[in-house]
Amino acid sequence: MIKDETLSDAVDTAETNALARWLEGAMHAQDVRVLRYERLPGGAIQDNFLLDVDIRGGKWQGEHAFVLRTDAPTGVAASLTRAQEFAVLRVAHAAGVTAPKPLFLCRDTSVLGREFFIMTRLPGVAQGHRLTREPALVPDGDALARELGANLARIHAIRPPWRDALSRIATLATDGEHATDDESVTIAPPPANPALAAIAEYRGWLDKLDDAYPALEWGLRWCERHAPATYNIALIHRDYRTGNYLVDSGRLTGVLDWEFAGWGDPREDIGWLTARCWRFSGADREAGGIAAIEPLLQGYADAGGIPISRDDLDYWQVMAHLRWAIIALQQAQRHMGGGERSLELALTGRIVHELEYEVLQLITRSSR
Amino acid sequence: MRDISDAADLMTTAREALLRDLLPALTGERRYAALMIANGMAIAAREHRLGTDAARNEAARLRNLLELVPHDDAAKRDDKSTGDLSTLRSDVSAAIRAGAFDADEHEVGHSLAHTAADWVAISNPKALRT
Repeated sequence: MIKDETLSDAVDTAETNALARWLEGAMHAQDVRVLRYERLPGGAIQDNFLLDVDIRGGKWQGEHAFVLRTDAPTGVAASLTRAQEFAVLRVAHAAGVTAPKPLFLCRDTSVLGREFFIMTRLPGVAQGHRLTREPALVPDGDALARELGANLARIHAIRPPWRDALSRIATLATDGEHATDDESVTIAPPPANPALAAIAEYRGWLDKLDDAYPALEWGLRWCERHAPATYNIALIHRDYRTGNYLVDSGRLTGVLDWEFAGWGDPREDIGWLTARCWRFSGADREAGGIAAIEPLLQGYADAGGIPISRDDLDYWQVMAHLRWAIIALQQAQRHMGGGERSLELALTGRIVHELEYEVLQLITRSSR
Repeated sequence: MRDISDAADLMTTAREALLRDLLPALTGERRYAALMIANGMAIAAREHRLGTDAARNEAARLRNLLELVPHDDAAKRDDKSTGDLSTLRSDVSAAIRAGAFDADEHEVGHSLAHTAADWVAISNPKALRT
């Protein structure tokens, strides 16, 4: 997530010097000067840095505003590596998805000590509590919801196998600006049954926790018994929600945070985006706290998305709350047992109660 | 009425002082941190008042649910029938996952929803709906 305030780092450090020398090679430039290099707050899982550079020589001549994305010290289960995320972002970008343009990948850990990639920095506000509360930021919620739906349909138009998805960018990337070893990067193969695969994965995560959670087990069992018999498999983002996209002048400028992307049931993304837990100050506006559900689904359908029923929404919103509850528990465990004392992580654990409550409300509503 | 402030009152009073005396002087990340601290203190105060009852009622409901489980499964629990809340949660969770409650959808859903609501009343009462 990109926020306005930044923690400042000095620009002339061993780190920025190593980065500048590496960029000179990647950009075929004579000289790269780092003008600003500041950690962006809000990344619980990834570290994002604002990066302004002044380039002399080569096709990148001039000043540029980038974001550098690298691993945070504590990794989280089910997250892509930076090389995988870079490849997914390139595939999405080539499919016309509104997202930051991925530019350079560095897998050489001798530069910054971790893999990283560099992407364009897009304008806009991401914070969910602001987007759902300040009408000046979203003057036309229906229009934004239609854009969000259309953009999601473009992601879901990307279908397996991975090598076919990759072949599209190979034909597009004729300018030679990208790292060349994409062929070696793959993502996990499509699951046999996406809902059942998710349930098995979440149970595995629950089993690694110290306590047991009957309400979450009840939700998972309900999802298992009501798993959809038919489904499509597509590239899904898995964190497509308010708070993870940028809005500038009321328009969508980019979807961020692709670290959980992979093959799955497209309805999982719709459930995540519309789940009550991601509506911030707009609890009654089902489309991410931004608008009613209709414009979102209209934008999705108009751009080629599959039909979404009320049952689909209920089912995948239950799944969304279960997923977020278990991830929240993992974050709480980092505080309680993982040697990473943090009030923010501790409070994240406390939201599990309202997520359980919402799971049970949805199941009751859906069963009657 | 008591003479000396108890844990819940101390937490509530300290939170009020934080919000009244410190928060107006803070901006940006520090303001965000103060609001998180206030939230943590509010939860702690509510848990001090309501947590004992919530845990006791949850344990009673979980024991009732285990009564619904066929005898074979119940036999395995005999040695820990006086189990604490954490054991009860674990037993009910295992039974749910095994499908032992599939026929009792209404009872189990109702019981778990009641417990969830008790804990939401502590962690974030604004999320409760009627």
